[in-house]
Amino acid sequence: MILVVVGMLLLASMLGGRFGTPHQLTLDFIGPLQSAVTRTFSGIAVLKNDYIAFWNVREDNKRLQALVDKYLAELGEYREAYSIYLHLQELLAFKENLSFEPLAARVVGKEPAYWYQTIVVDRGKKDDVLEGMVALAPNGVVGQVIHTAEHYSKILLAIAPSSAIDAMIQKNRVRGIIKGAGENGYVLQYVLKNADVEVGDHIVTAGIGGLFPAGIPIGKVSKIKKKQRGMFQEIEVQPDIDFQKLELVFIDPTDRRSMLESMNLSNER
Amino acid sequence: MLVFAFWVLGVALIVAQTTFLQYLPVWLARPDFVFILVTFIAYRFAWIPGVVLVFSLGWIIDVVAGIHLGIYPLTCLVVFALLKGITAKRLIKESTFQIPLVGLCYFLMQIFFYFIYSVLLPEELPEWSWVVAFQRTALVVVSAIPLFILFNSLYEYIQKRRLRGKAPRRRPPKSI
Repeated sequence: MILVVVGMLLLASMLGGRFGTPHQLTLDFIGPLQSAVTRTFSGIAVLKNDYIAFWNVREDNKRLQALVDKYLAELGEYREAYSIYLHLQELLAFKENLSFEPLAARVVGKEPAYWYQTIVVDRGKKDDVLEGMVALAPNGVVGQVIHTAEHYSKILLAIAPSSAIDAMIQKNRVRGIIKGAGENGYVLQYVLKNADVEVGDHIVTAGIGGLFPAGIPIGKVSKIKKKQRGMFQEIEVQPDIDFQKLELVFIDPTDRRSMLESMNLSNER
Repeated sequence: MLVFAFWVLGVALIVAQTTFLQYLPVWLARPDFVFILVTFIAYRFAWIPGVVLVFSLGWIIDVVAGIHLGIYPLTCLVVFALLKGITAKRLIKESTFQIPLVGLCYFLMQIFFYFIYSVLLPEELPEWSWVVAFQRTALVVVSAIPLFILFNSLYEYIQKRRLRGKAPRRRPPKSI
């Protein structure tokens, strides 16, 4: 029976060449299957192509990220170089404005503990550095050389409790003594209660005593205390220099100490 | 060898304290590593090698940072002698007591310093603050724990190497 049906269909398809109903039904049945398979394989091909493209994009991304990192690092270096350039320009301007030929010294070590306020610089006796010479920075007073070796020297910072400098309030020339107060900066002592002092006033060296030249900035008044008892007011001074970030200092090669000693000797005669 | 190794360690600590550790923020403060090493030396070393070590390290730091020379080596020797005297008693040798004793010694050292300055150099006397003194003491105590572990490891390593070097040689068996 089946063979008869098959034979009849074959005969119908061969005679006249018409695309008849059986053909159409067959096509309508096979067509969706073909469509489904084709779509599936097309999707797989697209996924495959996207995956390969993704790899390429990833490689491109890595390459571009590396370039960005490299340029950011270079930018950081250029920024640091520019900052150093500005700082060196400031130092050069300071050096050129000085009345003496200063000796630049790099800070190589700082005090480690609470009780000392000293730094070590890389200039010593071979550079004609002597004890008693003063050390300065563009912002103001750093301190005084206290010990020297052949290649290195130790400087007592002006904020050390054992440091005392003749100072004056710049606006009205009222004199006092600047004493170091460690991490708290300075204290200006022996200023009478009736002296005109305000927060923000500039304090500079007085030049009396002969060790520090006159007019070098020390700091700004940050706090004033007037106690009921006593003749003097307590004035706290914020240093102009950030001692924590000190990298370079200038040593005044003038041997003021021996000059003072010779002056005292000539007075005695 | 042990004394030399700890001397080199002490010099390295001094260099570290006076250079890159100074770049730590001010509010964090900076623990006194050399003081902690001095207390370790007092716990572990005998009198003579201990005195040599402590005095030489105190000398170096006095040269590098001292204003009035001699105060720091003197302080180191006083701390060493004090701790040596206390640790003569077995009980104090236990590690439970060692770290708090470091803190107590550091606190007393600050007072000792202040006393010396008030007697000999009153015009250079820094401002005293109990809060700052306790804060610094606490920092030293906290820093002493990892440092003691490091020092102990180095000490035991060198001791083991010494013992290995002195291992008795086996005599060849006697033939009958």
